[in-house]
Amino acid sequence: MPSEAPPALLSSVKLKYVKLGYQYLVNHFLTLVLVPLIAGVALEIARRGPEELLSLWQSLQLDLIHILCSVFALVLVATVYFMSRPRPIYLVDYALFKPPFTCRVPYATFMEHIRLIGNLDAKGVDFQMRILERSGLGEETCLPPANHYIPPTPTMEASRAEAQMVIFSALDSLFERTGLKPKDVDILIVNCSLFSPTPSLSAMVVNKYKMRSNIRSFNLSGMGCSAGLISIDLARDLLQAHPNSNAVVVSTEIITPNWYAGNQRSMLLPNCLFRMGGAAILLSNRPRDSRRAKYRLLHVVRTHKGADDKAYRCVYEEEDAQGNCGISLSKDLMAIAGEALKSNITTIGPLVLPASEQLLFLFSLIARKILNRKIRPYIPDFKQAFEHFCIHAGGRAVIDELQKNLELSAEHVEASRMTLHRFGNTSSSSLWYELNYIEAKGRMRRGDRVWQIGFGSGFKCNSAVWRCNRTIKTPFEGPWSDCIHRYPVDIPDVVKL
Amino acid sequence: MEVLGTEVEPLLMLSSALLVYGLFLLWRLFEQRRNQNCYLIEYACFKPPDYRKLPTNMCGDIILRNKNLGLSELRFLLKVIVNSGIGEETYGPTTVIEGREASVTHNDALSEMEECFVGTLDELFRKTGVSPREIDTLVVNVSMLAPSPSLAAMIVNHYKMREDIKVFNISGMGCSASLVSIDLVQHMFKSNRKMKAVVVTSESIAPCWYPGCDKSMLLGNCLFRCGGCSILLTNDCSYRHRAKFILKCLVRTHLGANDEAFNCCMQREDDTGTLGFHLGKNLPKAATRAFFENLRMLAPRILPLREIFLFSVRKYLQKLKGSKDVQAEGTPRVNFKAGVDHFCIHTGGAAVIEGIGRSMGLNQYDLEPAWMTLHRFGNTSAGSLWYVLGYMEGKRRLKKKDRVMMLSFGAGFKCNSCMWEVNRDLENPGVWEDCIDKYPLQDLTNPFMEMYGWIHDEEAIVNYVKEHPEYADIAAKRAPATARSS
Repeated sequence: MPSEAPPALLSSVKLKYVKLGYQYLVNHFLTLVLVPLIAGVALEIARRGPEELLSLWQSLQLDLIHILCSVFALVLVATVYFMSRPRPIYLVDYALFKPPFTCRVPYATFMEHIRLIGNLDAKGVDFQMRILERSGLGEETCLPPANHYIPPTPTMEASRAEAQMVIFSALDSLFERTGLKPKDVDILIVNCSLFSPTPSLSAMVVNKYKMRSNIRSFNLSGMGCSAGLISIDLARDLLQAHPNSNAVVVSTEIITPNWYAGNQRSMLLPNCLFRMGGAAILLSNRPRDSRRAKYRLLHVVRTHKGADDKAYRCVYEEEDAQGNCGISLSKDLMAIAGEALKSNITTIGPLVLPASEQLLFLFSLIARKILNRKIRPYIPDFKQAFEHFCIHAGGRAVIDELQKNLELSAEHVEASRMTLHRFGNTSSSSLWYELNYIEAKGRMRRGDRVWQIGFGSGFKCNSAVWRCNRTIKTPFEGPWSDCIHRYPVDIPDVVKL
Repeated sequence: MEVLGTEVEPLLMLSSALLVYGLFLLWRLFEQRRNQNCYLIEYACFKPPDYRKLPTNMCGDIILRNKNLGLSELRFLLKVIVNSGIGEETYGPTTVIEGREASVTHNDALSEMEECFVGTLDELFRKTGVSPREIDTLVVNVSMLAPSPSLAAMIVNHYKMREDIKVFNISGMGCSASLVSIDLVQHMFKSNRKMKAVVVTSESIAPCWYPGCDKSMLLGNCLFRCGGCSILLTNDCSYRHRAKFILKCLVRTHLGANDEAFNCCMQREDDTGTLGFHLGKNLPKAATRAFFENLRMLAPRILPLREIFLFSVRKYLQKLKGSKDVQAEGTPRVNFKAGVDHFCIHTGGAAVIEGIGRSMGLNQYDLEPAWMTLHRFGNTSAGSLWYVLGYMEGKRRLKKKDRVMMLSFGAGFKCNSCMWEVNRDLENPGVWEDCIDKYPLQDLTNPFMEMYGWIHDEEAIVNYVKEHPEYADIAAKRAPATARSS
C-alpha cells in the first residue's frame, strides 16, 4: 500500500547507511585505531623538540654490538618468515577452444536430428523440444562432427579425433600466447570426465608436442563438471613441492561417445545441454612470471557430498531398460546442489569474507542458537568479498538457484548466462569461458577477486578464488572476440520453437 | 624503562621478542619438513572368491566359445598361453565365468570394481584400525573404466567418508598407474599438513573382453586377470614405528614423444569396428627403451657412491680402449644389487620378467617373486607390484633396512620405478596366506600344451573332434582357416 511504502523505504535507506557505517568501522578497525595513535606520537615528538629527542636517544646507551645483534635478529626472522610462506601460484595465461562454425547446432538442426534419429516417439520429441526451449542455450553452440551424423557415430576413432581437435587447438593457442615451449612444461594435468582411452589423453598430448620424458603427467577422469578445479588444486599441490616450475592444465569434455540413444526422460537432458569446449591453462610459481601473470590463486576449497546416498545418485551413469548408456539426472539435483554449496560456503566464508560479514554471521549464529531458532539464518554478503562470479553454466536452473542463494544481481551472473547461451554447457571448461567473457567486457581490474564455483557428479562442489594481478586490456583475441559486441543478450524464459 | 622492578633496555626487549618469534617460525618449518616423508602403513591385496578361478580347461572353453576365431588364431593363442607363465589358479571376472563375456552391462563392470574395492578396503581398515572418516586423500586408479560418478566417489559413498576429503580418480594411465598414484600422494604429503591417504589400484577386466579376431587384440583376453590392492599411506611421523615401508625416491619416465612407443599399446577399434586393446609387435622394444631411460635417472639416486664411481671408471677405461671394443662388449653393466636388495617387477608377462632379469643381471632368487606371482595371480595390471611385494613378505625376505625396488611399465609408453626402505622386519603373508608354502614351484609349465596340443596337427584335430563332438566347429574351420587372414 502506498501509505506504508515511504516509511518502509525510509527505514530501509537508514538501515543501508547503518550497514555501510558498520562495515567501514569493522573492516578498517586497525586503521582507525592506529591513525590516532600515530598522530599522537607525532605530536609528542614535535612538542618535545630535537634536543630533547637526542638526549633521549643517548640515554638508551646503545652501542655497536646491540645494534648489530638487533639487525641480525631482524634479518634472521625475516628470512625464516619468507622461507616458510607457501609459494604463490600464478595463472600466467589461458587459452580456450573456439569451435568451428561448421559444427554449429542451431535449434532447427537439433530438432530435425532428434526427429530423424528416430529413437524417440512423438511425446519424447515434444519433451526434448520443451527442454531445449527452456534451456537458455543460443543458436551458436557446437557439437562435434560425429554427432552431426544421423544417427551419431560414437566410435573411439571419432572420439579421439574430437579430443585432438579440441585439446590441440587450445594448447597451440596457449603456447603461442605465452611463448612457452612444449619441452619446458614440467607438469601436465588433463581432465576429461566421460572419455578416458588408454593410452590417456595426457599421453596423447605428450606425444603430439614431444614433451620431456621426465614430465609429471596425470589424467583425471570421471570427476564431473567440477574436475577443472580439482586439476587446479592438484597443480597447486605439485607446484608447492617443485620450486621454479610450471604446470599446464587441460580441462575439456569429449561429447562424441556420450550421445544417449535411448528414450528415458531423465537421461535426455545431457544430449540437450552438453556442447564442445575446452580450455588450456598455464600455472607457474616462478617469481619472474609474477609480473606478466593474469591472476594469482588465493584459495581452492573442495566439498564432497558422496557420503549421502541421494547426493551420490543424483547424477548417475547407468544403462536404461534397453541397454543404452546415459547419464540420469534426478529430480532433487537443485536441492542437493544447494546443500553442497552451503557446505562449501561454510569452509570458504572464513577465508574470504571481510571481518564485518564474519561478525554478523557469528552474531546471527549465536542468536539462533541461544535466543530463537526461528530467526532466519544470515546469508553472508559475498558481494563484499568478490567483484566477479563465475558460476558453472550447468544449466539455467543451476544459475537461477545460485543467484537466489547468494543474493546476486543480474550483472554478477551475466557471464554465466551468456556463456550458457553462446557455448552451452561445456562442463569443466565453462568456468574459463565465463572468465574470458568478463575480460572481454573490459571489467577485469587489478586487485579484483574472482570466485569460480563448479558442481559435479559425486556430488561435488568446488570453488577457487583468484585475484587479478594486472588490469586486462581489450581488444584481444579469443572465443568471444567476434561476438562480444552483441552481448549481453536478453534470454527469454521460453524460446518458442 | 622499568619492568618487574629491574632496568630493561627497550631494544633488548625488542630483540628477544623477535628472536622468540624467529625460533617459533623455525620450529614450524622444522615440523613441516619432518612430516614430508611418505610412510606406507599397510596394504591389502584382493583375493577373489574361489569360483572365479580360471583353470586351464576353462580357459580353453572360453577361447573356443568365440566363434569368430579361425584355426590360425587359435594356434597363436595356444602358443601365447603356453609360454605365458600363468598357472591354474588365476582369477577372471564373473561375466567370463558365467559365460556372458560378450554381453557385459555397465552394472557388471561397476560390481566387479565394487567387489574389489570393498574386499581390499574392509581388510585394510580392519588391519590398521584406521576409520574411513580419518582419511584425508583418496586416489583411485583404474585404467579401462571411468564411469560418472567416479569410482573414487563410489568408495566415498560406500564408506561415508568426510566432506572435505580430497579425491582423485586417475584413468587411462596403464599398468604403471599404481606408481603414478603414489607419486601424486607423495606430492600431497610435501605440500600439506599431516594427513592419511588411501591409494586403491585395480583394473577393469569384464567390459574389456574382445570378441573379434585381431591377433594383437586377443592377447589382452588371455593375459589380463582380476586383482587389485589398497594401500594406506601417511606423512605423520608419529606412525613411523608402525609403518612397513618408507618411500625413498620415485622416478617416472614418459616416452610418449616417440610415436612408435606411443602407438604400441593402444585401445582402438579393429577393422570391423570392434573395440579392443591392441598390443603391438614393437612393445618389447619400446619397453626396453623406456626401461633404460628410467634406469638412467634412477641409478644415481639409489646406488651407493662406490658403485657409481666404479661404473664411471669402467666406462672411461672402455672409451680409452677404443671404439671397436665398445661394440663387442656393450655398455659396462651397472650392478644394481649393490643398492637394491629386492626387486618388485611388474608381472606383465614372461618376456617382461626375463628381459628385465637379463638387463639387470638378476638371478633366479631375485626373479622368483615375480615368476610366482605371474603363476598364481597372472597379470593383474596395475595391482601386480603389490602381489609381488606380498610374496616377498610372506617368504620373510624383508628385513629392516632392506631396500625394495618397484618397476612397472604402462601404455603411453611409461616406465615408473620407485625405491622403498623396509622399516621393520615383515612376516605377514596377506593374500598369499593359504598357498605360500607351496611356492616356489620348480616346474612352471602349464598343462595347456597337453590339453590343446592337438590343435597343431590336422590329423590330431580330426581324431579329437571325433571324441569330443562339442568341438565340431573346429573341424569346420580347417578348410577356410588357410584362406582366412588376420
